[in-house]
Amino acid sequence: MSNLLTDTLEQARLTARALVEFGDGLINPTLRLGVTGMSGAGKTVFLTALVNALTAGGRFPVFEALASGRLARARLAPQPDDDIPRFEYERHLRALTDERRWPESTRQISELRLVIDYQSRNRALRTLTLDIVDYPGEWLLDLPLLTTDYDDWSRETLALAQRHPRAAVSAPWRAHLATMDPLAPADELAVVTSAELFTAYLRACRDERYAMSMLPPGRFLMPGDLAGSPALTFAPLALPDGGEAPKGSVWAMMRRRFEAYKSVVVRPFFREHFARLDRQIVVVDALAAFNAGPEALRDLEGALASILACFRVGRRTILGSMFNPKIEKILFAATKADHLHHINHDRLEAIVRRMVMRAAERAEFAGSEVDVIALAAVRATREATVRRDGESLATIVGVPAAGQTLGTETFDGEAEVALFPGDLPADAAALFDQAGKSAFQGLSDTTAQEADYRFLKLRPPKIQRDGDGSVILPHIRLDRALQFLMGDRLQ
Amino acid sequence: MTTGPSPRRPAAFRLDDPDVTVSAEDQATGRNRSGTTILLAPEPEPSLPVATAFLPPPRRFRWGRMFWIALGGLVSLAIGLGVAQLIESLFARSASLGWLGAGLAALTALALVVVIGREVRSLMKLAAVESLRERAAAVIASDDRDAGRAVLRDLLKLFHNAPAMARSRTNLEAHLDEIIDGADLIRLAERELMSPLDREARRLVSAAAKRVSVVTAVSPRAAVDMLFVLISAAQMIRRLAQLYGARPGTLGLIRLIRLVISHLAVTGSMAVGDSLLQQVVGQGLAARLSARLGEGVLNGLLTARLGLAAIDMTRPMPFVALPRPALSDLAGDLLRRSEDPAATGKPARPDEDTDRPPA
Repeated sequence: MSNLLTDTLEQARLTARALVEFGDGLINPTLRLGVTGMSGAGKTVFLTALVNALTAGGRFPVFEALASGRLARARLAPQPDDDIPRFEYERHLRALTDERRWPESTRQISELRLVIDYQSRNRALRTLTLDIVDYPGEWLLDLPLLTTDYDDWSRETLALAQRHPRAAVSAPWRAHLATMDPLAPADELAVVTSAELFTAYLRACRDERYAMSMLPPGRFLMPGDLAGSPALTFAPLALPDGGEAPKGSVWAMMRRRFEAYKSVVVRPFFREHFARLDRQIVVVDALAAFNAGPEALRDLEGALASILACFRVGRRTILGSMFNPKIEKILFAATKADHLHHINHDRLEAIVRRMVMRAAERAEFAGSEVDVIALAAVRATREATVRRDGESLATIVGVPAAGQTLGTETFDGEAEVALFPGDLPADAAALFDQAGKSAFQGLSDTTAQEADYRFLKLRPPKIQRDGDGSVILPHIRLDRALQFLMGDRLQ
Repeated sequence: MTTGPSPRRPAAFRLDDPDVTVSAEDQATGRNRSGTTILLAPEPEPSLPVATAFLPPPRRFRWGRMFWIALGGLVSLAIGLGVAQLIESLFARSASLGWLGAGLAALTALALVVVIGREVRSLMKLAAVESLRERAAAVIASDDRDAGRAVLRDLLKLFHNAPAMARSRTNLEAHLDEIIDGADLIRLAERELMSPLDREARRLVSAAAKRVSVVTAVSPRAAVDMLFVLISAAQMIRRLAQLYGARPGTLGLIRLIRLVISHLAVTGSMAVGDSLLQQVVGQGLAARLSARLGEGVLNGLLTARLGLAAIDMTRPMPFVALPRPALSDLAGDLLRRSEDPAATGKPARPDEDTDRPPA
């Protein structure tokens, strides 16, 4: 009953805001673009490159508005929401260009507003306001929690933790769990320990060697100012089948805190940010999963499917955008395509497409457009062919970050190296065949010397400056992404 | 589980390694088979802005067009009034005459509607072919897979009832779902669909050119061959359009001829490939031949050139994978054809035996 009331109230708030924004949009056309992705996938770099492309221009033949010269200028403007940090575009760009290092990853939501002046096809001068919202993909994985309760979540999380390769990582937490009786009276200290161990397990799963993606609740990894609060101090329990939680027991306490997490963390995020997006980019780092192994790939697939399931997809209609705005275009950007020779880009796209296939069908059925593009927002490599003993390898040339290793070699972060990371499989379906044994060996099963794929961390390229000092970032297919995301609004 | 041959292991090659030779791909020189060579692919200059296309000037309201439309309306009103009055007076004379008149008027109207309908359809088809060509060119530039697929589907629709192309159609349909980048898809379609059509188009143009050259050479009056050239050029353009999937009616043909002529003007009429013509004229061949025969060859060449422009404008795809037919392909035929008059006693072969003075 109270649940129904909350939902109705929530929906009423959403509708009221949608109505206000619709009226605003009539005078001042606005596009809200959401950028998300797991941490380390390259959200910040993508966004920096996107803003730089719009403000500084460059070589973007496929992005029609820019290539045909209709886009007069784009400038940064004060953002509409005063309670959200600004996306620090200038600082990230400086890190890329001056210090030649990748910008620090964002740990929370941030926002940036761009005002684009352009000339429409029929030569009228127009303005489009682009609000870009950047938020961690981990928060998205919280959204499915809204429709589950503590008992179900607890069982699912525990089952997941027992699977290979998570079992090894989760052993300390599960050992502690065995000492806890859900029916016993609540003991704050034991609960805190359990939550800490659980968080440590989630954090360890994110390590390069495992590269797991399905790690809700997301705020455990990025607590922000909620760290240590009761809403973040809970963990799954080994629950008995059936039965009720006795008053004052650990079980009842965990249950209450789980609900608190939903109402303090998840629901406000959904209302304030997520439900208002028009377009969405999901930045996916499939190559990290290839480094780690087939389990990581499957985990990524599960995470992407549940992300897509949260989007309110559908075609944009006048009535719809008044009362119930939907996400009309979703782009899955398989980033770091510059770590592959271009002959493998299609395979990368096919693999990511395969991961989102089922969910994408649902979105397309509802009338949204879904696209998958293998891209590199900032291209750190060149391509080269290596001929060795009559064999020729399609390689990429870049500067590996200091400390990266491949085979017996350790790189110093200065030398240029031609890398052959391994051939991506031609048949994407074979990777996801559950019955088959491991399709390939990754870091989660074997050593770095034996792994089938090695995608090293590379340093950003040497950046050129234009005549007037503006920065030109090399890229791969960023123009196609821009055209897909906003080409139709710049007609 | 292994897929295909044993997977190649990841590897790294330092560029500053003394055992490694590094060179740019386009100047790969000596091949030392023993050592390792790294060929760097050429990079596009990232800061180079793409040439910006300028928008056409804003379209102003066209009063001239308005004038013709209004005038046309008035004239048709006058005709309608005249017909109505005619039928009225026919009825005044006798009822049966009146009915006959009314029936004829109705038939006229019906035929007019059908004719207009056909013209409109043919114009639409022509526009469709044009937009298909533009889209194909855009896909070549953007390499967008979905757009490429859409173009391919429309192409298949355009040729869905050409029986001779059943095989290429099925081939292409099989490729629709494979992972091929957009530009490659267009190239594939061009190779599959266009090569038989191109052959036929070449034949059509060269036949028309031959006809024109022969008729000009033998016709008694300049007026006659002018008329002939006009008619056969129009016929050639219509046939080419039919071949490439558009069925132009009268209005369509007029529009097409306008397009072809403006294309001819844009591409620079005499600049390219007319070394052949220069050769013919410059070496004084025409002077050596009778004046009429020279004129015939010239007219034939011009027709061939018109045919090439017409191919450009009627073909639903740009020339990307296949070579654009050159004037020499067609004119070669034409000059060989000049043997026919040669058989009547005039040395018309521009071949080596007449062309080159004996050493």
